[in-house]
Amino acid sequence: MPEVSPDQYLALFRDMWRVRKFEQALEREFKRGKVPGMLHVGLGQEATLAAIAHSLRKEDGIFPDHRCHGLLFLKGTPGKKIMAELFGRATGICSGKGGSLHSADASVNNFGDNGVQGSYMVTALGVALGWKMQGKNNVSAVVVGDGTSGRGEWHESMNLASVWKAPVFFICVNNGYAISTPVGFSHATEDLVDFAKSYKIPAVQVDGNDVLASFQATQEAVAHIRAGKGPYFVEYKTWRWQGMFSGEFRPAEEVKYYKEDHEPIALAKADLLKKGIASPEQLDAIEKEAEAEIEEWVSYAQNSPLPDPAKATANVYIGWEVESWQS
Amino acid sequence: MAVITTVQALNDALGLMMAEDQRVYCLGEDIGKMGGDFGVTRGLYDEFGGERVRDTPLSEAAIIGAAVGSAMVGMRPVAEIMFADFIGTCYDQVVNNAAKVHYMFDGQFRAPIVIRTACGGGFGGGPHHSQQIEGWFMNVPGLVIVAPSNPHDAKGLLIASIEDDNPILFLEHKALYRQKGEVPEGKYTVPLRKAKVVRPGKDITVVTSMKTLYDAMAAANELEAEGISVEVIDLRTLRPWDHQTVLESVARTGRAIVVNEAPKIGGLAADVSAVISEEAFSYLKAPVMRVCGLDTPIPFSLPLEKLILPDKDRVKQGILKVCGK
Repeated sequence: MPEVSPDQYLALFRDMWRVRKFEQALEREFKRGKVPGMLHVGLGQEATLAAIAHSLRKEDGIFPDHRCHGLLFLKGTPGKKIMAELFGRATGICSGKGGSLHSADASVNNFGDNGVQGSYMVTALGVALGWKMQGKNNVSAVVVGDGTSGRGEWHESMNLASVWKAPVFFICVNNGYAISTPVGFSHATEDLVDFAKSYKIPAVQVDGNDVLASFQATQEAVAHIRAGKGPYFVEYKTWRWQGMFSGEFRPAEEVKYYKEDHEPIALAKADLLKKGIASPEQLDAIEKEAEAEIEEWVSYAQNSPLPDPAKATANVYIGWEVESWQS
Repeated sequence: MAVITTVQALNDALGLMMAEDQRVYCLGEDIGKMGGDFGVTRGLYDEFGGERVRDTPLSEAAIIGAAVGSAMVGMRPVAEIMFADFIGTCYDQVVNNAAKVHYMFDGQFRAPIVIRTACGGGFGGGPHHSQQIEGWFMNVPGLVIVAPSNPHDAKGLLIASIEDDNPILFLEHKALYRQKGEVPEGKYTVPLRKAKVVRPGKDITVVTSMKTLYDAMAAANELEAEGISVEVIDLRTLRPWDHQTVLESVARTGRAIVVNEAPKIGGLAADVSAVISEEAFSYLKAPVMRVCGLDTPIPFSLPLEKLILPDKDRVKQGILKVCGK
């Protein structure tokens, strides 16, 4: 197991809070009607997201899933540009044309989320293939949920990544439910590593609410891929706070377990205190700093202009323009 | 100038582009040592190796996805979908990814891919090996559909498609694969989004593509003796198609027929016909007519298949009707 320094541990802890505060602010603004469209947040999955972000280099590729707003800024994109994108503003990273489900940033090799769950698993395969053919050493990381394991692209991408020894990092955030359907109800296994193993891809399970365990598993995965040994699969067992459209549907004891007894930030905090890495005051200060930073992004987004109307018809084709109402 | 088949012309284009540009590679089912179901990639595996002429399993979504992903990091993939009918298995990849990555991320990424696929009926291929599929994609912004009708255009359009930065669906009609024609050696391009007036005429414009061009030409030659002068246009790019060439022709002739092998409802011919009516109504001496496939799947038995597809006689009947004869 790779060692984690006190500084690294604190950095992970800080980023868990940044993800938490980002998603809470976003949920609040969504309920106020300031964020259009649909919203899926990564509350409860902060440890997994921080572990992934701290294991990838800027040049590595990321395909974030719909609960990965945190990864978008942790990968290196200015957070205010992510927030502005989610508000549909001109200053957003995709000029307001992508939104929550389609926020990409080519400058940090973030290839964007996808509205069709898992559809981009084969795109991630293609990025990995392209880099391999170009002799590059980058990792192409793709985040998918448990529900995605039912989709054809899941199986097609794993089979070919294995055959081609493509540098794909399959990140499965297993939060137990695809919308309302429990994993085990609609899949042949509750342990999605089983699928990866059948494609002869090294695959491990980790407690996705344990930030150190997640970080160490992620480091090993990335080291394996970067060494040219082909794809790797990690299943992060976690749980999402957000219920679904009609509210909470899960058993009360399960909700209590994940939101109180096995809540990722509280777990990390207790461990940091126990190991004497930081004082309670220092850890509280980290939380407050994160909150202040995120609220700055929110006000930046709210005060940003709406997109230029010309953007509606821009960048459909390369080399010619489409007809607009004026023409 | 060499006289070669469409298959050889396409093969020539792929070989030239792969030799010239290291970013160009091919992927698809049985395209490697075997050279593809129709032989379009024959010999390329021996020349360029298995890394650049890449055999895949029957995973069409992964074929298109891998093409798009690699294109996003700078490669120029040419993907082969063995039969156009199979493209339903990767429809999402074409429609929601290839065609949209440039727009939805506001220009940060490009997907310069070419999807080659064998289409068209008339040979007893049955319901799943015969269809004309451009209609499935007419409503997809960001996608370009190219469809050559002869060996010369096949080579020039494929080279132009590989060099273009947009995602391109490149349709190869199976009935035209073995057709021979004069093809220049070396590299040349035929422009995309540019239709061609193949046969000038004064009385009526017939808009065609791929195999229907030959039905229209045969009908036009027969009608010449009856005193009807037919102008025949080969669209070459089906989406977005060349409005200007078609409208200028209709402005000259005052009559138009649109021929398309796919079913009439909601297809390419409907769009061409609508644009002519919208933009050239004042020139029209008669309503625009569509001569298309019937609203049926493609039956297997040859006489049944012949009943549902447009042919020379059906084009001829259409011309006579629109000309009031």
